[in-house]
Amino acid sequence: MTGPSKLIPDLDTLPEIEEIGQIATWLAEAGLESMELSSCMGGRLRILVAQTPLPVGQDVIAPSVPQPAVAEPVAAKAPFFGRLCLVNPLGEEAFAPVGSTVRKGDIVALLTLETLQVPVTAPIDGEVVEIVGRADDLVGYGAEILRIRPL
Amino acid sequence: MSDTQRFDRVLIANRGEIALRIQRACRRLGLETVAVHSEADAESRHVREADVALCIGPAAAARSYLDTDALLLAARVTGASAIHPGYGFLSENADFADAVEAAGLTFIGPTGASIRQMGDKITAKRAMRDAGVPCVPGSDGPLPASMDEVQVLAETVGFPVIVKASGGGGGRGMRVVWDAADLAEAVTLTAKEAQQAFGNPTLYLERFMQKPRHIEIQVLCDTHGTALWLGARDCSLQRRHQKVLEEAPAPGISPAVIAEIGARCAEACRKIGYRGAGTFEFLYEDGIFAFIEMNTRVQVEHPITEATTGIDIVCEQLKIAQGEALAIGQEDVVTYGHAIECRINAEDPFSFMPSPGTISRWDLPGGPGIRVDTHVVGGYTVQPYYDSLIGKVIGHGASREEAIARLRVALAEMRVEGVFTNLRLHQDVLADPRFQEGGVDIHYLERWLAERAAS
Repeated sequence: MTGPSKLIPDLDTLPEIEEIGQIATWLAEAGLESMELSSCMGGRLRILVAQTPLPVGQDVIAPSVPQPAVAEPVAAKAPFFGRLCLVNPLGEEAFAPVGSTVRKGDIVALLTLETLQVPVTAPIDGEVVEIVGRADDLVGYGAEILRIRPL
Repeated sequence: MSDTQRFDRVLIANRGEIALRIQRACRRLGLETVAVHSEADAESRHVREADVALCIGPAAAARSYLDTDALLLAARVTGASAIHPGYGFLSENADFADAVEAAGLTFIGPTGASIRQMGDKITAKRAMRDAGVPCVPGSDGPLPASMDEVQVLAETVGFPVIVKASGGGGGRGMRVVWDAADLAEAVTLTAKEAQQAFGNPTLYLERFMQKPRHIEIQVLCDTHGTALWLGARDCSLQRRHQKVLEEAPAPGISPAVIAEIGARCAEACRKIGYRGAGTFEFLYEDGIFAFIEMNTRVQVEHPITEATTGIDIVCEQLKIAQGEALAIGQEDVVTYGHAIECRINAEDPFSFMPSPGTISRWDLPGGPGIRVDTHVVGGYTVQPYYDSLIGKVIGHGASREEAIARLRVALAEMRVEGVFTNLRLHQDVLADPRFQEGGVDIHYLERWLAERAAS
């Protein structure tokens, strides 16, 4: 049986567009306008249902065509604390400059604590749209490092 | 020993009111502070006011305030060279104290060895007995085989006695004996049960204290051989072993008796080479003091001792950790008046369930003799992850009556909205004639609550 619970994404991976459409259908059927899901990694998915009034007298069960989901940028957050390093110490290239495309799990920055280096990884596939953290700053656990717009 | 190194930046490995209390003491001494905190405490007052603030983990204490590795790394990366553990969390963790010192940092507290010694009830009791600190009268070891000898022993200890299995615990394998006629049967039965339950028939016996009070002695020791005791506190008002209201000195116990116990505690500290602040806890009944345990840290209720002695205990902890000698001797410790502390918790006043939420109104009391230690400000959100203590209101007066009167005015002035609190409980206790007489036992509050619930 395919029920709503199976389709509620854990946001480690974004749901397929068909699945988002299905959720939107259910929302419309339930008379709800929107829903938002967020994950502990900072991922957020908001689904808005177009509010078109039904023509009077028309017996329509099928909902109005759902609007495509508005996918907001997702933050890559610090999994520990440390000094922020945005440039690969080996290659001297920025890990993930604005405009670059990253895959989920890619290293997008490092947190350095003396000899310890803790990677900050991309929570989703997408395009880096903003660098929030400043290089060499001491950043705390959970701090936003950069934002990625899902592709 | 690495306990005499100077430091100028202190990492506060705690949260809530005690973190702010430590920060104030650091500031007074010109020391910088590092506030490490969980994500849930990012908006805390001491975090916002710290010289350096660093979020070290999520709300769960195991991954923040209890994470030894994270705390040590945080100290290194922020340049802190000393760690104050406060109370709770890692404050009585001997391995943490050792790890701090092994990392070349100063632990603001006793050595790991002292914490370990006092953390084990048997070694603690042995050390205390050797140092002349009174413990519960008892057989001091296994019961003799001869029942006649057991009878003599029990008469010496004094009835009622409690017969316990050496291998027992958790309330099993013990029997209270009210008079000599029942002793032989009780010993035989308990030994049989102990053999069956624990595979060990060895028994010991102790005086059974029926309605004891909780009396404790505050000590302060430097690393130059000075150990002071700073008077007694009575913390008998408890609910489920949690102190609710504390006072100093202990009403109705002669200062001479306290002085005798205090001197023995200080002597015990010198013998075991104790350093920093600590508290000896006793049960007290019919003139008998029985050592229970030593707390090797600053206590929640330290302000009432500060009020009666004028000594800033947290500042003294910091100075001792810097290797300084205490500037005063025992003869300089003079207590004045009476102080009472009410622990204000965000909790349901009847069910005592924690009441997390955002505090929309926070009007604090004031006036002569009133001190409020709190990390809460208007708009603060009480988190569900930690204990529910939101503040402490301390009343001090020339007499116990004056302290009570000042506190009653203060509590009536205090307004807290947005969460439930136990303010009303404190008001009712302070108005209770039996409490006002002084000297209630450790079961009094629970009996009083049960009667209130029944009526």
